[in-house]
Amino acid sequence: MTEFLQALILGLLIGGVYALLAAGLTLIFGVMNVINIAHGAFLILAAFITWSLWRWSGMDPLLAILVVTPAMFVFGWVLYTATIGPIRSGPPAASVLLTFGLALFLEGLMGVIWGNTSHSVRPAYADERFQIGELFLPKAQVFGGLVAIVVLVSLYLVLTRSWLGRAIRASAVNPQGAELVGVNVASVAALTFAVGVASSGAGGAIASVLYPFLPGSHYQWIARLLGIIVLGGMGSLPGAVVGALCLGVAELMTVTYIGPEWATGVPYVFVFVVLLLRPQGILGTRLREDVATA
Amino acid sequence: MTDAGATTADQGTLTGGGAPPARAPSKALRSPWTAVIALAVLLVAVYPVLSDDLYYQNMIILSMVFATGAVGLNLITGYAGYVSLGQGAFVGIGAYAVGIGVTKVGGSPWVWIPAAGLLAGALAALLGVVAMRARGHSFVILTIAFLFLVQLLATNWDELTNGTGGITLPIPTWSVDYQFWPFYYALMGLLALSLLASWWVRRNKFGMGLIAIREDEDKAATVGVSTPTYKILAFASSAVFVGMAGGVYGYYISFIDPLGMFNILLSVQIILSLLLGGRATLWGPVLGAFIIEWLNETSNNEFGGGNARLLIFGGLLALVVLFLPRGIIPTANHWIERWRARGQAGLAGERLTGIDLRERTAPPPAAAEVSGAPLLEVKGLERRFGGVHAVDGASFAVPEGSITALIGPNGSGKTTVFNLIGGTMAPQAGEVWFDGQRIDGKPPWRRAHLGLGRTFQITRLFREMTVLENVVAPLREFHLGLLNANAVSGREGGRAEELLDFVGMKKYRDVRASALSYGQQKLVELAQILMLDPKLIMLDEPAGGINPTLIERIGDMIRELNARGTTFLIVEHNMPFVLGLCNPILVLARGQTIASGTPDAVQRDPKVLDAYLGEDFRLEQPVGA
Repeated sequence: MTEFLQALILGLLIGGVYALLAAGLTLIFGVMNVINIAHGAFLILAAFITWSLWRWSGMDPLLAILVVTPAMFVFGWVLYTATIGPIRSGPPAASVLLTFGLALFLEGLMGVIWGNTSHSVRPAYADERFQIGELFLPKAQVFGGLVAIVVLVSLYLVLTRSWLGRAIRASAVNPQGAELVGVNVASVAALTFAVGVASSGAGGAIASVLYPFLPGSHYQWIARLLGIIVLGGMGSLPGAVVGALCLGVAELMTVTYIGPEWATGVPYVFVFVVLLLRPQGILGTRLREDVATA
Repeated sequence: MTDAGATTADQGTLTGGGAPPARAPSKALRSPWTAVIALAVLLVAVYPVLSDDLYYQNMIILSMVFATGAVGLNLITGYAGYVSLGQGAFVGIGAYAVGIGVTKVGGSPWVWIPAAGLLAGALAALLGVVAMRARGHSFVILTIAFLFLVQLLATNWDELTNGTGGITLPIPTWSVDYQFWPFYYALMGLLALSLLASWWVRRNKFGMGLIAIREDEDKAATVGVSTPTYKILAFASSAVFVGMAGGVYGYYISFIDPLGMFNILLSVQIILSLLLGGRATLWGPVLGAFIIEWLNETSNNEFGGGNARLLIFGGLLALVVLFLPRGIIPTANHWIERWRARGQAGLAGERLTGIDLRERTAPPPAAAEVSGAPLLEVKGLERRFGGVHAVDGASFAVPEGSITALIGPNGSGKTTVFNLIGGTMAPQAGEVWFDGQRIDGKPPWRRAHLGLGRTFQITRLFREMTVLENVVAPLREFHLGLLNANAVSGREGGRAEELLDFVGMKKYRDVRASALSYGQQKLVELAQILMLDPKLIMLDEPAGGINPTLIERIGDMIRELNARGTTFLIVEHNMPFVLGLCNPILVLARGQTIASGTPDAVQRDPKVLDAYLGEDFRLEQPVGA
């Protein structure tokens, strides 16, 4: 029972970090209909920047979020304006291939800058843990999970309470309508992409403490995040949170009861099962392409 | 496979290879390409005999592995428009099939190569079944998940795959004098076979259906293209040859491990080959594969591989998508066509103006006998969108042999009723009966096979296909013989030409649909559904947005088809057109049928007047219901 409870709590904590990362991915998909395959590479890049900050200045990785997030926001905005923006009106396949190309390029670039060895950020509390009764909760996971929830809630407030949030949601639901009421959909798209990348920045900074990483880790991360948004329903923010918590718990349960070597397979199984049984995911609505022209 | 055998096989594809590479460029274009391709194929075929440079022999062998992969990928990505980022997995699956077969069962690796193809094809079909209900984006995700899942299995399933330790295959037994020839010519044969398959698919009805799916999947379903079956078949056949090539590849490099065989860069190389050479072309993937493999070797030798390879492949992928989205061959064709057409600007536009109204010598036929028995019956149909009851218990019948009109104010649910009958949308309640069968719940293509054809309010032709291809694409019934039927010539092609002649668009058979005017598109769309041999044709605003002469012409055609026994159900706002053509007339308001009867009766019905001019009165818009 303790074992189960421990796996459940740790799963939920890690799920919170996944939720933050998946939120950016699902936001970008929801507004732009772009599957950002480079999302994993973005978060690894953020993890490397966090590592460098921690290495050079000893800055706490969770505090580094305050630096990494705006940096990634700018990076996302520039990248969107230079590459994805120009082909937005093209076929959807083009953007998938483009972001895939960007992911590979970034992987190579990170390899050149930081090397292809495993890195991890280890602040003072990395080996400490809280003990509650029989439960052992590593401090890094507890702090990471809590910070992720705080960032996620702020993101949610931005999306629901600010003009930008309303503009983003309006652009997602009806781009033409949004244009008509004075929303510049193109620049909202750039901002959305930047917000999405920024959230991967915050999530990447947290992830750098929780998991060791190298440039090639981005494949595993993107698989994980895609599994989450497919499960939750693509484009749905609450869906991403539900999917992330499910994946976090499922991974921890797999580690505990089946074997750690199979944990990476959980998101792939998610994708297969969801697409087979409920292609629109838990909270997703089915995309009705036929209505668009009718 | 012998040297001579492989060469002849390849020449076999060559004769046809020059024919319609992409979208049938002008005939004059074919000859120079054919010469270049013939020369290149000959050069590759004799290279190992003339030179014993193993560096280049190795490079060509690898190029052919990726070329086979890219030609296969072209079926699903180039023709059907579904991007697979996990295509490299089939190389690994083929290699593992051979490796496991040889080490666990025994025999020569060559014996296991067909098995490798079958296994790859079967797994792809399975994946296709999973993806069947998912659309567009989900497929990409699924293919990535598939690649990683297979890699994970190969890593962790020690008993079968020996995990990360990998499988070592026996060293080839032939004399060293033959160098890599058996690998070389086996792969050349496989590449030739896959090219032959690609060439044939581009010409038959199966290929037309795939391109139709790429252009407009929902529309394709309404003209009888059973989209899941097409996609599964395309994906499975995309994997068979690359699986076999993977088997040869595994034997060639003689060591099979999860990291090397399921490296995502294999998929990248296949995808890049296809994109760079040109999607939906015959030779593009091959050209691309040779360029990319050369680049791969260069980056490995000059820049130490690893990160350099990632930077080059990733950067090139992004650059191709941004600046060369159509690939080398289509872009080159485009330039050549433009160069040839210099000084003749405007000719094409001139040729496209005006509709050919065929002179009719026969008098307009008399109206058909209306039997009175309902061909289509709708009972209590309901469909809500959120809180809006678009269709709210609509019930009506369309008598066999009639030209029935469905009219109603804007927003009364006419188009939704069409979508529910045609199957592009599912009703929340109610029944649809057609020709004695209950059809709600059947997918759109099944309804089309039963004899139900429909057009759309805003024409939905397959824009990148020619007029003839648009008309050939529909499938009357599903059987493999028909899928295999030659779409360009032969019976199906001939039929399509007759129908184009009927609607007066024969002259435009080789024009791309996107170049047609709106009225012309309506005519082609009519010819397209006539290809289904429909018992009932549903027309959504046939007279909307076109000139009066053409409206009259469409009316004539409807009468003529009706005289030959086709029943019509027409949604239309043009009242003179409706009143002159249709009987009975059904009136829809607020999602319900409020009146039906002869034109005279309906015109006097107070409920109808109220619906049109009363509280529901809205300004008529030119398009949009």
